[in-house]
Amino acid sequence: MANVTIYSTPVCVYCKMAKELFAKNNVQYNEFNVASDLKAREEMVGKSHQLGVPVIDIDGTIIVGFDQKRIEAALGLK
Amino acid sequence: MYDVIIIGGGPGGVAAGIYAARKKMKALLITDSFGGQSLTSAGIENWIGTKSISGYDLAKMLEEHLRAQQGIEIVDNDLVSGVTKKDGGFDVATKGGKTFETKYILMASGSRRKKLGIPGEAEFDGKGVVYCSTCDAPIFGGKTVAVVGGGNSALESVIDLLPYASKIYLMVRSEIMRGDPVTQEKLKNHPQVEILFNTMPQEVIGKDFVTGLRYKDAKTGEQKELALDGVFVEIGLIPNSDFVKDFVALNEFGHVVVDHKTQQSSCPGIWAAGDVSDVLYDQNNISVGDSIKAALNIYDKIKKS
Repeated sequence: MANVTIYSTPVCVYCKMAKELFAKNNVQYNEFNVASDLKAREEMVGKSHQLGVPVIDIDGTIIVGFDQKRIEAALGLK
Repeated sequence: MYDVIIIGGGPGGVAAGIYAARKKMKALLITDSFGGQSLTSAGIENWIGTKSISGYDLAKMLEEHLRAQQGIEIVDNDLVSGVTKKDGGFDVATKGGKTFETKYILMASGSRRKKLGIPGEAEFDGKGVVYCSTCDAPIFGGKTVAVVGGGNSALESVIDLLPYASKIYLMVRSEIMRGDPVTQEKLKNHPQVEILFNTMPQEVIGKDFVTGLRYKDAKTGEQKELALDGVFVEIGLIPNSDFVKDFVALNEFGHVVVDHKTQQSSCPGIWAAGDVSDVLYDQNNISVGDSIKAALNIYDKIKKS
């Protein structure tokens, strides 16, 4: 099972879409709300070198934004 | 060969798709996503029938309504990249490498965000230059930011930022803001907001991330600089009409010029509705109406032939 983490903010549409994709494929994930969790925000910036959400970490592969194709590829789906 | 290919999955495209399906036209709708430009809005308050709805929820409703129809085919993960005229219709090519044949085309492809087009903007995209305020406003907690623009999108971005940023500059290009007076009032005397008029951004400055924005005072010509952690760009839209520009009449902004009675473009066989057309007002409710008009006009055309 892949180790999946998503860094998100509460009203971020693309974060929601990513989480829906995970749910649809029964992928378990950890989520950090970088609006309120400063440590997670620093971690996110450290991993992605940028400030936008979502940032998705799949076994160390860092994907910025809801890039469906890259996410599915990293998860080994389709 | 399809009777009609509908390009776009916003409110306009979906409305056309639903009507096309119910008229039992052989229809295909191509989009990369549903919901259109309002997808990222935290709260839409003027979608008729609903006091407030998030762009995300509206997108879901639209998609479900479309998918509940019988007979319409949907490609939901691709973008139209080119259209060519041929005998009896058109070939529609997609970025994903597919080609479809159709008699008629209904363009409901909307618009995309305009960029500032200044040095540093691309370099700091994601590193302080922001295009989605609902997504990223929370990341600027306690920071100083600027929102560039004077229309409703810009005003709403300021509102998105109020719970988070400590200071927000609203940088308006001209003397006046075009956004709704209701929203303007909320911001005019707000302690966190400073409105600057006659500002022309020149360069985004920073190191690893944005540290400032250089701009020109349009009245005095003076170059000034603001120390900032973020720049939110909300300056308007460019119609997605590139793929027909060689044979469909466009106005000087790139909108498809249409007969507003029928939504027909200058090219027989192509209709356009919503923000991609030269409609006077870019509104979801209007896009829906105009797209339905186009779909019914196409249906009339099919019946006669």
